[in-house]
Amino acid sequence: MTDPKKTHPSDTDIRPHTFDGIQEFNHRLPNWWLFTLYGAVVFWLCYWSYYQWFHEGPDDRHRIQAELVQVEAAKLAAMASSHLDNASLWAMSRNPVIVASGRKTFEANCTPCHLASLRGRSENKLAIGPDLTVRIWIHGGHPIDLYHTVTQGVPAKGMPTWGPILGPRRITEAVAYVLSHHQEGEPIIDAATLPPGSK
Amino acid sequence: MPPAHHPNRDTVTTIREDGSRRFLYPADVRGRFSLARRISALLLIAVYALLPWIPVGGYPAVFLDVAARRFHLFGLTLAAQDIWLLFFLITGLGFLLFIVTALFGRLWCGWACPQTVFLDHVYRRIERWVEGDGVQRRTLADAPWGPGKIARAAVKHAAYIVVSLGIAHLFLAYYVSIPALWAMMTGAPGRHWAAFVFIALATGVVYFNFAWFREQLCIIICPYGRLQSVLTDDHTLIIGYDAARGEPRGPAGAHAAGDCIACDRCVRVCPTGIDIRQGLQMECIGCAACVDACDEVMAHTGRPPGLVRYDSLAGLARKPKRIWRPRLAIYSVLLLFGATAATWGVLSIHPVLLTAIRLTGAPYYLDQGIVRNQYLVRLVNKQNSPATVRLDVSGLRPGASARGVEDAIEVPPMGEELRPLIIEQSRSTYQGPFAFRVHAADPAEGVDVGLSLEFLGPATAGSYP
Ligand code: SF4
Ligand code: SF4
Repeated sequence: MTDPKKTHPSDTDIRPHTFDGIQEFNHRLPNWWLFTLYGAVVFWLCYWSYYQWFHEGPDDRHRIQAELVQVEAAKLAAMASSHLDNASLWAMSRNPVIVASGRKTFEANCTPCHLASLRGRSENKLAIGPDLTVRIWIHGGHPIDLYHTVTQGVPAKGMPTWGPILGPRRITEAVAYVLSHHQEGEPIIDAATLPPGSK
Repeated sequence: MPPAHHPNRDTVTTIREDGSRRFLYPADVRGRFSLARRISALLLIAVYALLPWIPVGGYPAVFLDVAARRFHLFGLTLAAQDIWLLFFLITGLGFLLFIVTALFGRLWCGWACPQTVFLDHVYRRIERWVEGDGVQRRTLADAPWGPGKIARAAVKHAAYIVVSLGIAHLFLAYYVSIPALWAMMTGAPGRHWAAFVFIALATGVVYFNFAWFREQLCIIICPYGRLQSVLTDDHTLIIGYDAARGEPRGPAGAHAAGDCIACDRCVRVCPTGIDIRQGLQMECIGCAACVDACDEVMAHTGRPPGLVRYDSLAGLARKPKRIWRPRLAIYSVLLLFGATAATWGVLSIHPVLLTAIRLTGAPYYLDQGIVRNQYLVRLVNKQNSPATVRLDVSGLRPGASARGVEDAIEVPPMGEELRPLIIEQSRSTYQGPFAFRVHAADPAEGVDVGLSLEFLGPATAGSYP
């Protein structure tokens, strides 16, 4: 039992150093505090042996590898399910569900320039975008060219790069909607093949 | 009977020399502060228990819906995008705590901290009912294990666990809402492992803290107690012993003795195990138990109360007291700054977020004698109901016009919509770049947000004066 009047334990309890006139007692930590240290040591042993000594757990390289494989698989699956080529785009343009969603995307994003009728400058000379219903195509004569034009844009003329904004699904649907105003097999003229000045 | 160990200022009472724990068995105490604290604690517990049940504006009064990233606070709904407001909340609470501490010392610790509220008014009450007062509890703890002791321990810990389960469940209710909590409670654990494990862990932590850890949290872990020495000064209201009046200690009626009769009541009621007569100490949580204890003794000995009382260090030393101090002015001005910014922040929060960027490509296009700028407007609906937003452009120069604002835009609940916005101006009217504003409004939902955009074009004689 400590003597009630004793306010200073013996001087040997005081550690030798002095910082800014402040001295420290040499008291023990609470035991529960020490146990947190021992607990941390035990945790470290388990963790380190699990991951580093016995390589039981996956390391970062394997985890990234596994995730990349997943991403790759998802990409391949998406490609397999909607393999894009001229034929599949034509087929989609006849599917009313796809055309309806494509129409929504088109009306939200494309009408300021190409107008709701898709007829652009044919309807209004001051419209920004060209007519999408005629058979003279400016940037390639195949549906897949249309898809690439929308995805990559034509920055020089003001057609935005829609790829990162809309993503492949919505672009595909919008292209299907535009194609729904055309017939497969109709004579399409690639404007690039026309002699200059004949457009 | 003096306490088994007399506290001193050089060691922590609850840590023995060998590092083991010295458990405390604080004696019962009655008095005006104990009563006031009991009432305020029960009110606080009621607030904690009821907030998730009270609907305000279709949501619980406080519902931090982490899964949907929507935070409902008394009818105000914040989205993850509004997280920056947290800065003002935390700094505001910080400065408020600074002010309260500079004025009233550890008022928070003794009266409002969940640690004290639950410990003193729930867990210690249970302990008192099951095991008796301080002396009985100490005797019981020292007694060898027998059927009686085992039965009492079982009852006490069972009650602790029940209360801890309640606290943990209520805590989870703040994040998932009561109906979802009930659905999980009545469903099989396997269907919501995360919640089940969380409740198990939280209950365990709460139980351990209140059954065993107790004052160790205040003394060793909580940073607030450690900050006292910089937050308080000589004019802060603290709990202190009037040494001038009390010393020298001696039995009532003894020659030349002060008012303290050295009965050690104040020490035996202290839940942190200190002797308040040794001055302001880091362990003291300002619970006022010693004030009530001593006032009772003073009443018995026919002396005025207040030998141990709420007072400032200056007041206890019979020096002039001051309430208004420079530190208070500084804390208040900082708090005011923060509160103003936070009020502005809350008022500028809209259920719909409007942003706009330039579309990829050139900054402007020249086409058929027209200057054209293309933007992409993004609308994010942060509420649970659809919004029908109309875009509107104002501040265009004469001859300029907007495309893409004709139709109302339906933004689904918690969804987002993109729209191109095109501004055109004929070359003949174009006189250089200018700023204009875009507005998004939905009168039905109280939405009205705007932002400023720049219209760019070729350099003109006028644009570079
Ligand atoms: S309760 Fe009051 S009289 Fe008794 S020891 Fe404490 S300060 Fe002195
Ligand atoms: S000294 Fe008094 S106010 Fe401080 S913790 Fe002990 S009993 Fe409470």
